[in-house]
Amino acid sequence: MTMAADSDAGGPQVRSHFSAELDQLRLQVEVMAVRVSLALNRMGRVLATGDEDLAAVALAADDEVDAMLVSLTERCYDLIRRESPVASDLRFLVSVLRLLEELERIADLSLRVVKHAPDVPMLKADASMFRTLGDMADVAQSLYRTALDAWSAQDVDAAQALAEHNRVMDGHYAILLEHILGLEGPGAAPLAVSAVLVGRALERIADHTVIVGERLRYLLTGDPAYLAAEVR
Amino acid sequence: MERAVEIRKNFHQALEEVSHEIVRLAGLVTEALGKATEALLCGDLTVAEDIIKGDDVLDSLTLAIEEHCYQLLTLQQPMASDLREVVTAIRLTAEIERSGDLVANIMKAARRMYGVEFDPKLRGLIERLGEQVHRQFRLSIDAYVERDDKLAAAIDDMDDIVDELHVDYIQAIFETHEQGAVALQAAVQLALVGRFYERIGDHAVNVGERVQFMVTGWLPEHTSAARQSLRDANGDDLPLAPLHDGDGAGGPR
Repeated sequence: MTMAADSDAGGPQVRSHFSAELDQLRLQVEVMAVRVSLALNRMGRVLATGDEDLAAVALAADDEVDAMLVSLTERCYDLIRRESPVASDLRFLVSVLRLLEELERIADLSLRVVKHAPDVPMLKADASMFRTLGDMADVAQSLYRTALDAWSAQDVDAAQALAEHNRVMDGHYAILLEHILGLEGPGAAPLAVSAVLVGRALERIADHTVIVGERLRYLLTGDPAYLAAEVR
Repeated sequence: MERAVEIRKNFHQALEEVSHEIVRLAGLVTEALGKATEALLCGDLTVAEDIIKGDDVLDSLTLAIEEHCYQLLTLQQPMASDLREVVTAIRLTAEIERSGDLVANIMKAARRMYGVEFDPKLRGLIERLGEQVHRQFRLSIDAYVERDDKLAAAIDDMDDIVDELHVDYIQAIFETHEQGAVALQAAVQLALVGRFYERIGDHAVNVGERVQFMVTGWLPEHTSAARQSLRDANGDDLPLAPLHDGDGAGGPR
């Protein structure tokens, strides 16, 4: 075998090794995304029940998400350094880096809701408002599941649909604010403040899932216009 | 060999340009933050409008810096320490840009509260919160410029003051509302304003942590990652963590 043949044979092997590493990375990102999904489920249960033990578990579980953020971020930079990827591979790695931050942010926002566990009995006393908060938590989880499915299937249409679905969340948030401003009597301020902070965290979760969708659209289409969604 | 030296020289020059752009972006946010508290307390709608419109400038500057950073990654082959600087630049830009968004949010709340008279106690707390967050944000950028990891690490402790002020502030909102001195609508806006200040303080802490990473290679997430590894090694279930004590501990805020 000639040197040239060796070299020709080595090139594709190196590429395919790199491709395998990228596939592995894609799977690991999905694992992290599933952990964030579990965090959102816990958030929903804490909001529904006010279970402070579960709230404590949720806070501790965030370390797992942080640990994955560290290892996957380091792996991305290691691949960028070793492989000097170009075009679509670089776009993939840059997209993963940004996606990881969004996932971590969504997990953090779920904790903001969880920390209101002690306020749940107070929030529950206003049944209508509590129902709206529950609806918002459901929408946040459903949007997130859509984003996760879109990422797994690399589905540009599903990613596009996220922005439209987010209008449902905006509608709920508007109803919540209207309800809050109609509150009166003793204890109205603590109730209003707790509800608005929980509501805002839920609304932000939805916003970040939309950013996940826009990031995916950038990855699949290469159109940098989608990057601007993150800068608002 | 000469070509390699030339490439590294160009790389460092480009990195320096990115650093200047970041300082410029941070300067705009620091300036807006300084003006925002006064505009909020005085009901100055002109300043509020300027700051809200100015957010577009911050956004385009942010995109330009990110683009610049990605070009650096593509066109050059950075060494480990250089890569750390580019990574820090990308992360810092996002933290600063989000802080700018939050300043704009404070101004939007100021517009919604136009004409509301602030109770002296609330006014005093807003002033102190604004000053402390402004100082903290400025120092975090100083730490970046000076590559001062000690100052960067100190931002986290400074943020305790913001957290304490925030607790007093929320309590003062409740009391003022109970006394009939502030309407519920304004109380809700004030609570959000408090959250926005608190978040800017958190971003300053994150900037400090990123600067520590740039200088020393330490990542804040390493703390929670290490805690998780320990747990995995011991086969522990998740331990209970106290409520109201940070967003989990050790991760970005």
